[in-house]
Amino acid sequence: MKQYNYLIVTTIFLIFCVNSYAEALDTKFAYIGDAGHATYKGASQGLLEANLQGEFLGLKYSIDDFTKNNYKETNLESYIAIFTQVDKTTLIEISASYPNTPVFNLSLKDNDLRFSCVNNILHTAASDKMLKDAENQWQKKKPDSGANAKAWHPDFVKFAARDLNKRFKKSHGQNMNSDAWAGWAAVKMTSDAIARTKISTSENMLNYLKTELVFDGQKGSGMSFRETGQLRQLILLVENGKIVAEAPVRGIAKPPTLDSLGILNCAK
Amino acid sequence: MKLLFIPLVLFTVLVNSVTAAPTGRIFVTNEKSDSVSVINGSTLEIEATIEIGERPRGIGLSPDGSELYVAVSEENKIKVIEPESLKIIREFEAGSDPETFAVHPNGNIYISNEDDAKASVFNPITGELVAEIKVGLEPEGVAISPDGKRVIITSESTNMLHVIKAPENIIVDHILVGSRPRAATFTQSGDIAYATAEISGEVVKVDMNSGKIIKTGSTGDSKSKPKDVLLSKDEKVIYVAGGRANKIIVMDANTLEIIKGIPVGKRTWGLAMTKDGKRLFTTDGVSGTVSVIDTDKNKVIKTIEVGKFPWGVVIND
Repeated sequence: MKQYNYLIVTTIFLIFCVNSYAEALDTKFAYIGDAGHATYKGASQGLLEANLQGEFLGLKYSIDDFTKNNYKETNLESYIAIFTQVDKTTLIEISASYPNTPVFNLSLKDNDLRFSCVNNILHTAASDKMLKDAENQWQKKKPDSGANAKAWHPDFVKFAARDLNKRFKKSHGQNMNSDAWAGWAAVKMTSDAIARTKISTSENMLNYLKTELVFDGQKGSGMSFRETGQLRQLILLVENGKIVAEAPVRGIAKPPTLDSLGILNCAK
Repeated sequence: MKLLFIPLVLFTVLVNSVTAAPTGRIFVTNEKSDSVSVINGSTLEIEATIEIGERPRGIGLSPDGSELYVAVSEENKIKVIEPESLKIIREFEAGSDPETFAVHPNGNIYISNEDDAKASVFNPITGELVAEIKVGLEPEGVAISPDGKRVIITSESTNMLHVIKAPENIIVDHILVGSRPRAATFTQSGDIAYATAEISGEVVKVDMNSGKIIKTGSTGDSKSKPKDVLLSKDEKVIYVAGGRANKIIVMDANTLEIIKGIPVGKRTWGLAMTKDGKRLFTTDGVSGTVSVIDTDKNKVIKTIEVGKFPWGVVIND
């Protein structure tokens, strides 16, 4: 009889432990910006996929959204990453308020944000220079082309882009654009990092993303961050609504890698 | 004499219908020719080309070798061919965009449904959907242990191997692996499995009893995007289709160290090995060829031109 009681108590205790542990494995992200923006839709898609993977692993993710006007009312230290779709000034303020937290820039293309190499700002959005470099490369190959550079296009099918475009459209009823991709990428890479490494602090997350991440963004081989905080990525050339080429443009790009696009070094 | 005649005829008919002698043929799906190439196993020449339907990819044989199954992706069907007569005798709906599948020893087909984050199990005789199993995003590879007790489905976007207990069809484990896991294969005992990861260019060796990765090896080229993986008959080496590395990477099955790279055609994905382990066939998608490798010498002995973008290959031996 005594042994039986002991067994019940132990079981209840273990169930309690498992539940507590499970709750401790909930990860929270913060989004600061316009929750109607394409970047937020992309982030929501990333969240859906993170939770699908998480279901298999006993992990759960959520995004709390804030605006540039109300984010200061909350202490955001408990969030493992902050995703932003704000203006440059607000972005700098946020990054200064939480210097050990990865702050993702999902929308701004400003070159000087890359040059300034703020330690905790990570750009999944492509910079103006990256886009310009892509267009320049293509123009060397096809001088008459009027193609524009874009980070993403809903008709992109290579590298499993087709699958991502298809699922995004299915979930959101609209095409995925560059902004949405930048939002999706930020969530996907952070959640995958957690699943893989069980990182639980924002400092460790920032370090991992900057130094160890090799990311499958469904637009080419493993992407990583430069010292400027920019995510290296393939750029598409689009003319009359159709994808005509990818940059780095083969035979033209120097170096023949993703580092032929964008700003490589920090301003001194 | 007459008395003996009838049972003798019956016996012969029975034997012939139950044990269809293998044709020795090698069957290859040509993704962009909408056809299946039929290669003679002795001469290694093309014997026939079967017009099969839009975008054929996955290919497999029934356990007794009497039926050949082809996943005709754009038509959402699996079509059934007689390996002897080469006639298409049957077809059935197989979910959305059927791509890769494997045939269980009990005859059922396990197929990954790329667009729906699930794996489906079909009875190919009746065309009946036996089970649906929820897995991660972009499920692709399907591998079944020789004893039929375990099925692995790889999900490329969720980066996992989902382990299913068969034939009960319950998920028993999810193993996080490298980026974009594509194909997997089991050892004879089913205790160990190997899986290729496309983005990281890696091969992982998994202990199926503990569900843990016991070794990771690089295929040597992070751009290679490895796909199919098979074990040699003696299980001492694994052969990995190196994708854009345009070679078959031979690795030590124990240490996952690279032993050799065998150059084949361009964008090599599919692999099949003869039962005696002596020959390995590869599909070289961009070249439109099948390369035949002598596994004693680990050299290509013949390159056969097939249709456009050969994808999967299977041997009826």
